[in-house]
Order: sequence, then structure tokens, then C-alpha cells
Amino acid sequence: MTVGVPGWIRANLFSSPIDGVITIVLGAILALAAVQAVNWVFITADWTVITSRLPLYVIGRYPQELYWRPLTALLLISVLIGMTWRMWGGIARNFAIILIAITMLAAILPYSPIELSQIGPDESPSDPKTVVSILFALNAVAIAIGYWLATLPSIARPRNFIIAAIAFFIISALLVIGSSYVPGLEPVPTQDLGGLTLNLLLAAVGIVCSIPIGILLALGRRSQLPVLKVACVGFIEIVRGVPLITLLFMSRHILPLTFPESISIDELYLAMITITLFSSAYMAENVRGGMAAVATGQTEAANALGLRAWQTTTLITLPQGLRNIIPAIVGQAIGLFKDTSLVFIIGMLDLVEMGRVTIQGNLEFVDDGHEVYIFIAAVFWVFTFSMSYVSRKIETALGVGRR
Amino acid sequence: MQSILYPGGIPLWRNVVFIQWAAQIVSAIFVITIVSSFLFNVAYEIQDREIPFGFSFLDDAAQIPIGESLIHYDPSQSYLYGFGVAALNTIKASILGVILATLLGIIIGVSRLSSNWLLSKLALTYIETIRNIPLLIQLLFWFLIVLELPNVREGYIFFDTFYLNNSGFYLPWPTPLGGFWMWAIVSALGLVAGITAYKFLQRREVETGKPSYPIVASTVIFLAFVLIGLAVFTPLDLVVPEPQGRFGRFQGGARLTGSFFALLIGLVVYTSSFIAEIVRAGIQAVQRGQTEAARSLGLNTNASLRHVVFPQAMRVIIPPMISQYLNLTKNSSLAAAIGYPDLVSVATTMTQIAPAITLIGMVMATYLAMSLTYSVIGNVYNRMTRYAGVG
Repeated sequence: MTVGVPGWIRANLFSSPIDGVITIVLGAILALAAVQAVNWVFITADWTVITSRLPLYVIGRYPQELYWRPLTALLLISVLIGMTWRMWGGIARNFAIILIAITMLAAILPYSPIELSQIGPDESPSDPKTVVSILFALNAVAIAIGYWLATLPSIARPRNFIIAAIAFFIISALLVIGSSYVPGLEPVPTQDLGGLTLNLLLAAVGIVCSIPIGILLALGRRSQLPVLKVACVGFIEIVRGVPLITLLFMSRHILPLTFPESISIDELYLAMITITLFSSAYMAENVRGGMAAVATGQTEAANALGLRAWQTTTLITLPQGLRNIIPAIVGQAIGLFKDTSLVFIIGMLDLVEMGRVTIQGNLEFVDDGHEVYIFIAAVFWVFTFSMSYVSRKIETALGVGRR
Repeated sequence: MQSILYPGGIPLWRNVVFIQWAAQIVSAIFVITIVSSFLFNVAYEIQDREIPFGFSFLDDAAQIPIGESLIHYDPSQSYLYGFGVAALNTIKASILGVILATLLGIIIGVSRLSSNWLLSKLALTYIETIRNIPLLIQLLFWFLIVLELPNVREGYIFFDTFYLNNSGFYLPWPTPLGGFWMWAIVSALGLVAGITAYKFLQRREVETGKPSYPIVASTVIFLAFVLIGLAVFTPLDLVVPEPQGRFGRFQGGARLTGSFFALLIGLVVYTSSFIAEIVRAGIQAVQRGQTEAARSLGLNTNASLRHVVFPQAMRVIIPPMISQYLNLTKNSSLAAAIGYPDLVSVATTMTQIAPAITLIGMVMATYLAMSLTYSVIGNVYNRMTRYAGVG
């Protein structure tokens, strides 16, 4: 009865009369919705609102002649992915393949019949198409380089990988934002930085910088020094108790006061600082939970071996606690990535706000709200869903809950 | 105490008591220096740059319109009153959102565990789609849908009592009459009687094993009190909204404005996807052996669910659920993006004239008070349901 396709259908779709009714009703609704959706996506919807201004959604009003900088940053990330592929395989391989496919597509796109570069009147004299195409195409090479680097036994160590990841992260951020201290990398006006790149940048900075601060806060909360403990608990609970939107608002008014009046603090850095502090409070709670989950026998064994309190923490409790919370950190990264859409409140043009401005600011697109929001939602979904997929794989690989 | 290592007594820098005291004092000085220098710096700069600050503005007339309010408001009333009106709007959205999100979340979470493959996969798709998309986009999307509803004259009408159009959703709403308080007292008595009956019958069922139907009986008792009270005192008058003239004004009933409607749908849909996962995890957390043990003790499916599985699942479900309620409340601040006059949006409007730092500080304090309320509820629940002998 439960053998083969008919058996499966009977067991899973028609096991009782009520079950059958549910299946038929849901199936009918689903079929209708699918027809409607396909019809809308391929016939009714007018996607020119997306295709004609794709660069705006990806990177905002970033100067075209500087497109090589974020694309070089992407190359660095590709090298890292190549290294991960060689060192840990599995999902990293799938990611590398998907990345190659997407970048190859992006390399052809500027030469496709779809008109993509209507950004505005400030068309730069040098045509960026060729540079953009070549740099996109080079990602496959970068992945190969990363893979090759990881075959060298002197390089393929987890510690080296972490150092490379941090170094590449800082270089990437520098490349995208620019700095007046580095010759050749003139700072990009931060109001020109927008779109998806802004969301990714803010989320990456927020999650990476919040790990050390979160660890310090968690240690402070666990410490036996009352004043330090009260300060850490106060910070964590206040930040966790209020919406991010109010923190962004407050920091817009308060943060400039902590700098000399001559320095006008830029919205981008304001958002970065606030999002990092916001994320640190949640990170601290994750770290605390991870450390509390380390078996007491570990601490007792460390004590028996004669380790001091600070040695026990840094060598025993903290590393094991951090391993416990890797899935939680990915989960927090997903949440933070979604929360970066709130920077509209301090006037930044992230992906969501870019969509809203496009609809409300252009008469020809005023009826294209559905297309814009569904496109943006799909972009966010692809990123967050793949992150949660990675998280689940890591969870299995680490054996969280099984060890 | 004489030590072999240190014949002259333990030196100061190896003395545990001294080290601890020194660490306490150093850390205290460190923390206090950082915090106070930050505060002094900010306070100094506020004075130096002549940034408006203080609470004296709160009694002045706010002179800003607030689109909708639970209690009467007009712009000649004070800032403080306007702030209260906005806080009530936030609370209204939160409470309605929490109730509806819980219901929807339970339905989807249970569907996720259904033996029907299609239903289960559909619930999974819902969860994985909704919770991976930022709430802001969802709110903007729902708001777009609401704005695209037909205008007042061509709006949808259901049974001549419900009206749905781009100015909002109009529905009948009861207005209290003279006998309202008597009815309220009778209903409260009914609630007490119902709870007493439930406890008595539940204990009888557990102790004697005789089926006593505590849920059915207590509900019947409560409803009987309410309905008899309704018949005797005629406390309420159900006012049906009526269109007035050609310009689409409505007389009577309640109105959910378009932005509130969009906010409510967005919050409920978004939060329900998280609640569904919590409900699923909670039910799955109860070990299979528990159900089997209950069945082998002679409890039927219904009783084993009610007395064994459900109480244990609730212990797992409630704490993360409360944190989702808190998230929903905090997320309601996104109302600012779609024009619902919640706390953040009203305070932002006020900052155009009034001191911003004070106002945002007040907003943050209000949210902190709400989150404190949630954590008090959570702690009370945890204490009530703690395993005997553990912790």
C-alpha cells in the first residue's frame, strides 16, 4: 500500500477523507496562483523599471569610472571562496560554481541588447563597460587562484585563512569606501554609495566588528566586578530593549556631539557605528549563552590543571563557547542584513529606499511598485536564504547538539 | 597564615583579597571615567552648541496633526498628551498584532507538522519566504496594495456592514450604553466561575480518571454569564457604519485606516512565520516517549495531548514567543515608513520644533518600559512552570 508513487501519494496526500479534501482544495488554489504568478511575471509585469537602472540597485550612484574598485573587492572575496572550496569543500564548491555562473552572466550583460547604463546625465567619458566585463569575468580566475593557494601546504592552515579573511575584508571595505589617507583611493562621496552594496557593507561591518565588542561585553557581564557588570548589563539591555530605528535617530543627534565640532561625521560612519553597537549587544548575549553551554567539567578540569581564571576563560571556555554559537552568529548576520534596510531613516539610499525613491520620484515608474518591491524582496531572499542554508550545513558539520 | 614559599608572609601583590579589591576599584574607576566623560562631553556640547534640550516644552501646544487616535486629540493639546496618544497607537498595533500573529503562527506551525505533504510543504514555503524578507519591504508592499484598493465610491461592500476601500476598512463597533458596567461585572463573575469550574473539573479528571470535560464546561459557564448579562442589561449598541453623502464619509462604527491596516497585516504575517517555527520546535521537543507513556497509562489521544504533550510544549514555546512579542512591538516602529502615527513617527514629526534628544530619549524609555513589561511576564511564567526540584 505504501510502495511506489501511488503508495506515496496515498500515504502523504490522501490518508483520510479530510486529508484528501485539504489536498484537493490546496492543490486547486496553488495551481490557480501559479498560473497567475507566471502570467504576471512573464507577461503583465514591466521589468524596465529594474533593467534600465540596474546599477542603481546594485551600487547606487557610485561613480562609473570607479566601478573597478568594488569589483576588485569582489575578486578578493572570490579568492577566499576558492580557498574555502579547496580546504573544506562541500557547500563552498556549490557557492563557487554559482558565483562563477553569476559573474559570467554579469560580464556579458553590458553587451546584451538590454540597455543597462541609463544612470543619469553624468555619463563618464571613458566607457566602463569593458572594465566591468573583464573584472566580472576574472572572478573565475580568482576562484582558481584561491583554490591553488590552498593546495600549498604552507598556506592552507585555518589560522592563515582567518588572517587572509580579515585582511581581505579590510581591503575590500577600503576599496569600496576609499580613504583620503591611501593614495590612489580617493574617498567616494558616501551619499553616492547605495543599493545592495550598502546593505552588504553595513551588515558585514556590523557583524565582524560586533564579534570582539560582543565578546568583551559578555565577559564583562560574566565578571565579578560589580561596576563593570552593571555597565555591561545596562548597555546590553538598553540596546536590546529599543528598536534600531530609535538608536539610529538618537545617534544622529548624539554622536556628532562626541566629536569636535569641526569634524562633521558622515551618515555612512554613523550607520556603521550604530549598527555595530546594536549588533554587539545581541552578540554579547549569544556569546554568553555559548559560554554558559560549555560543560562545567571543562572549567573544573582547567582549575585542576592549575590554569588561572583568565587562562581558563581565554583558552577553555571562550573558544568552546564561540564554537557553540557559530550558527547563532550566522542567524544574527541574517537578521542584521535585513535590519540594514532601516538606514533610510538617516537618509541613506539602500536597496529598499532606492526602490521607493525610484517609484515615487519618476512619473514613468509610478505604477511599477509591484515589480520593484518583488524584485528587491527576491534579492534579499536569495541572500538570506543562502546564509541560513550555510548555517544549517555548519551546524551539521560542527555537530552542535550532538557532542 | 604562614606560607612555606613566602616565609615573611604573603606579599601584597600575591594576596587574593588585595588583588580582588584592587581589581574592583580599578574597574570601577575605569567604567565611571568612560561613562561620565561621555555624559559630561555630551552635556557640555549641548550647552556649547546651544542645542535645544530639556522638558519644558512638554506643556506647550503640540500643533501637529495626528492622523488617528484611540482617545480624542486635537493639535491644540500639549506635546505630552500627543506623545501619550502616539504611545497608545503603538500599543494598539502591538496588542492586536500579538493576538493575530499568535493565531496565524499556531495554525501555520501545526500545518508544518501535518501528515499531509502538500500542507506541510506549503507551510514550510510560507515560513522560509516570509522570514527571509525584510519587514520594511513587506510593509511597503502591503501599503501599496492598500493604496491600490478602489476609492470610497467604488470600494468593496460586504453584507452592507463592512466597507473596504483605499481610505480604510470600516466595520461595525459596539458603543457602551447605560447597563455596560453591570454587564462587565457579571462577565467578570462569569470568568471567575469558569476558571473555578475548570480547576475543579481538571483535578477531578486527573484524580479519578473520569472524563469531566473541563474546557467545554468552563467555556459554557462563562458564555452563559456573558449572554444572560447581555440579554438582561442591553449594555451595548452595535453601530453599523453608514456611508454619508457622495464624498465617502462614514457615520458610526470603527475605521481601520489604510496605513494601520497595512502595518497590522505586515506585522502579523512577518511575526507569524517566526511563531510558526517556535510552535513546531516546541511540539517536536516533547519526546515521543512521553506520548507513548501517556497512552500506555490509559490516557486517550485527547487527554495525553492535553495533560502530557501540551504543558511540556508550552514550557518550551512561551519564552521565545514572548521575545517574538517584544520584537513585534519594536518592529511596529517601522510604521514611520508608511505613515501610521506611532510613537516613532509622531516623535519624529515633533522634533521639527521640539528638542530632538529629549523626545527620542522619551521614545526609547517608553520602549524600554514595554520590553520590561514583557520580561516581567516571561519571568513570572518561567517561575510558575519550573520543574520541581530543578533550579
